Amino acid sequence: MSQKIKLYDATKCTGCRGCQLACKQWNSLPAGQTENHGSYQNPQTLNPSTWLLIRFDEIAAGDDGVKWLFRKDSCMHCSDAACVIACPSGALFHTSHGTVALDQKKCIGCKQCTIVCPFGVPQYDPGTEKVAKCDMCFSRLENNLEPACVKACPTGALQFGEAGEMREVIKDRLAALGGEGRLYGDQFVGGTHLLYILPADPRQYSGLPIRPQVPAALSTWKDILKPLALLAPGAVLAGTFFHYLTKGPKDVTEYGRKGDS
Amino acid sequence: MLLIKKGMVKVSTTFERLVHWYLALSCLLLLVTGLGMMFHSFNFVSVPFGGLKNLKLVHNGSGLIFISALFLAVVTWWKDAASLDLPNDLEWLKKGGGYLWKVDHLPETGKYNPGQKIFFMVVVVVGLMMIGSGLLMWRPEGWSRDLINLMYALHALGVVLLLPFIVVHLYLGTVGVPGSAAIVLTGYTTKAWCLSQCPKWLRKKEKEGSLEYYTGNGD
Repeated sequence: MSQKIKLYDATKCTGCRGCQLACKQWNSLPAGQTENHGSYQNPQTLNPSTWLLIRFDEIAAGDDGVKWLFRKDSCMHCSDAACVIACPSGALFHTSHGTVALDQKKCIGCKQCTIVCPFGVPQYDPGTEKVAKCDMCFSRLENNLEPACVKACPTGALQFGEAGEMREVIKDRLAALGGEGRLYGDQFVGGTHLLYILPADPRQYSGLPIRPQVPAALSTWKDILKPLALLAPGAVLAGTFFHYLTKGPKDVTEYGRKGDS
Repeated sequence: MLLIKKGMVKVSTTFERLVHWYLALSCLLLLVTGLGMMFHSFNFVSVPFGGLKNLKLVHNGSGLIFISALFLAVVTWWKDAASLDLPNDLEWLKKGGGYLWKVDHLPETGKYNPGQKIFFMVVVVVGLMMIGSGLLMWRPEGWSRDLINLMYALHALGVVLLLPFIVVHLYLGTVGVPGSAAIVLTGYTTKAWCLSQCPKWLRKKEKEGSLEYYTGNGD
């Protein structure tokens, strides 16, 4: 199968949250009680039963008063996914679409993915003792359907398709925006499979990392310490064999008195 | 094979041997269950435990057992293993303990030689590192992500540091130095072994008259 890309064009988003609801419907996720935090954003963060959240950021815009920034917060589906590197059970995996899916049956609730993800996406559920996150509707992709959030979007802010075709769409859109839009997601973690076109500087969005990366400690763990954990004792084991063959066991009778057995 | 014969001398107490095996078994369980989670190719280790989730539970539980075992080990061996006998120990180390090349004269060692002292300190220091990092990995809530990421790396570094020492320990404790394994199994070994491995300790015991000989029939 070919690589797929989901595009979130924030310049077309009206913050209707149809995608947020469609996500809950398709994935059978329960609704939480609404709490007023002085914002339309609800809930405040992703959680085990909210895999997609439209964030509302209010930005002071000088003489224009206050500007609203919307952002679809959900799994970015990294090509170099820290969560997949960290997952000890293979519950998190790259699909043939290039997306990152989660087989909850395999999850052992170690929480490492919640620590390594630069976007803070995987959410640990103390009830099920497992993590949960957006899998870009893996079951729908497998059946040649677009993700539920894309299906529900009424404004065309969410689009989905083959990576090559989507890059053309993005190119045309950025040209049409004439410098007003910027692409977020293709510059880091090997390129994400959810790409944003943002009308504002990424720094103005809450919870959006400027330079997301696989944590250095995780790279050290995987690329250096993991192989060493087998190589080092292996080399020493080979050394002991060599020692036994060439020098032999210690003669503890050397200093002893004859007759003492 | 008769491990114990008439005329052998007592080198370790029953309590010491119990602490040794309590610590050894908790380490072994931690190692097997830990590697089973660290490498996908070792995930099969979880089958007899009934899945990886149980493997994680056993690993965490064994960690708690290890805490008590390490505490007992420190209480038991700190006095003899955490002290240096200078300049003898330095001289012994410079000569590689006589294990690596031909050495004419080795300084006499007490109950534990510097090699054993180093192994003991590595177990204590790395053990504490594994306990600290492991507990934070178990309950990461409320700590910074950078700190927990560092703990995962430290936990793996502990494996890299500890495993080679354990391999050497197993070698020298069995075929590398004949007569050693009997001590952790029966408590007794030959006097010749003591003259070679812990002559200072042997002389001290003889002088005190507190050296115990095996007087049974040997089976």
